[in-house]
Formats: sequence, C-alpha cells, structure tokens
Amino acid sequence: MNFSPDTVNSMKDLARLRTSVKESVELALNQQIQMEMVSSSKYLAMAGWCDRNGFDHSAGFFYKQSEEERKHAMKFFHYLCDQGATAYSPEIPAIGQEFDSLRSVFEGALEQEISVTDSINRIISICRRENDYATEELLKWYVREQMEEEYIARRCLELIDQIPADQVYYLDKKLASVTYDGNVFE
Amino acid sequence: MTGNVPVTYQEVFRTERGVVYQCDVSNRLILEFWDTHTQFSARDFAQFRRMVETVDIRQMALSTDAADDVEILALPRSERCYVLTLCEIVHLRELLNGAKLMLELNAMLRECGCSLTE
Ligand SMILES: [Fe+2]
Ligand SMILES: [Fe+2]
Repeated sequence: MNFSPDTVNSMKDLARLRTSVKESVELALNQQIQMEMVSSSKYLAMAGWCDRNGFDHSAGFFYKQSEEERKHAMKFFHYLCDQGATAYSPEIPAIGQEFDSLRSVFEGALEQEISVTDSINRIISICRRENDYATEELLKWYVREQMEEEYIARRCLELIDQIPADQVYYLDKKLASVTYDGNVFE
Repeated sequence: MTGNVPVTYQEVFRTERGVVYQCDVSNRLILEFWDTHTQFSARDFAQFRRMVETVDIRQMALSTDAADDVEILALPRSERCYVLTLCEIVHLRELLNGAKLMLELNAMLRECGCSLTE
C-alpha cells in the first residue's frame, strides 16, 4: 500500500466532520426506513380488506397501525437528517391486497412484526460493531415497541382461536381493543 | 496525470491507473483517473463509490448487446459523466476501494486517539 504514516495521521476525517453516522449504519437505517414504510403499506392493505369485509373495528386497528409504521419510518428519517447523514425516501414495492380470512390477516401482521424485530436486532449488532452508541440508544426505543407489537399480534391470534366463529361482531370488537400495558421495561 | 499536484493535496491511495487525494483546505476528495480530474465532497465520493460498486460487471462481460460494452456513470452534482469499459470499472473499483480503506484507517486512528507517528 502506498501511504506514509504522516499523511494519514494529519489528515482530516471528512466523513466524520459531516456526520456521526457511519456508512454501514446509514445504509442499515435507510433499509429500515423502507421496511417500516412497507409495513405501513401492508397494514393499509389489511385495513382496506377488513373495511370492505365488514370488520370495522379491525379496520380501525390496522388504519392506526399503518400510521404508526409511518411514524416509525419518520423517526429514523429525522434522526439521519439531524445527524448530518442522508435519508432516502424509499421505494415501496407492490403488496398483496387480498387475504383468505381475518385469521390470515393477523398471521400476516405477526410475521411482519417478527421480521421487523429481527431487523432491528441486526442493526443493533451493526451499531455495536461500529461503536455507535447514539444510534443504539435510539434503537432501544424500537426494541420495546417491537415487544408490544408482537404481543398484540399474538394476543389477537389467540382471541381468534378462543372466540367461537359465529360471534364475528364480538370478535372484531375484541381484536381492536387489545393493548399491551404490561411492558416490564416501562 | 500527476504533473502539478497542489501542496494542499494529500495522497490517499494510488494505483497504476489513478490516484485519490484529499484536500483539507477545501474539504474535498480528488479523483484522478486516466486523464480525468474530479472533486467530490466526502458524501458524494461515498455515493460515487457505491455506484461503481453496484455496476453489474458480470452482465457487461456476458452480454453481446453493444449497450452493455460500456457503463455510463453520472457524477454527483455535475453535468459530466464517466463512460467506462468493463476493464476501467475494475480499475476504478480497485482505486476507490483502496481509498475507502485508507480513509477508514484514518477514521479509526482518530477515533481511538492513536497516532502512527508517536
Ligand atoms: Fe414499526
Ligand atoms: Fe410494527
């Protein structure tokens, strides 16, 4: 390699002067922005399906979820901008609009939340590798959020199993009222 | 290619085909490749490197389509572009990745408060 120790040592770190976020973290967070926006889009499709199939309360639940996911994306977006890094408005691929049943809608929701949790955990390990404690701190908020989201999706699936199939209106109402207030970290 | 290098230019990495300098006065990275001379901000430099990295050279090598003989890369914030053959892409990658490594080394040294000279 062609470099003299003097040169490297006295040289500014231009990337660091611009931003505290390393390239690998910036890349991962932009991918996460995309993932949150995809979640938002999927939940909107779920809301639409519930709405046109008479599950009004579940529809309301998914409309709200859709907005939440957009907020998750925006939180990362603003974080990157505030740190001097670059946030990209993501491309959202086409997603499915049809579902077989109310159960499959909630199964889809749980699967989406699990993949988001996995992704958040992967980014934390990148932060640790890069000694990026600020971003890790931000991600801790998402870790808690994911505990909540997974809990709610699982609880909804339980209710679908527990409530008799002929009590559709009751089930729909019940699903939309599921909350998680027992987070051990709060 | 390296006729008169300004005194503020510090060499980051050099190959047979080109060289990357950093200028601490203008906060710019300078890429000299073949007979071209391009100045980048740190951000644009990283973006350009990623562009070069993501060129599908397999496709370029296998395709018989004339359009795949060269890759056109628009330079960030500029009207100019590079029109590169497969071979040039490979050389440019080597240069940019070498420069990236050196810049990362510099960042690591600063981060841990180490100095090579002390
Ligand atoms: Fe989310
Ligand atoms: Fe979520």
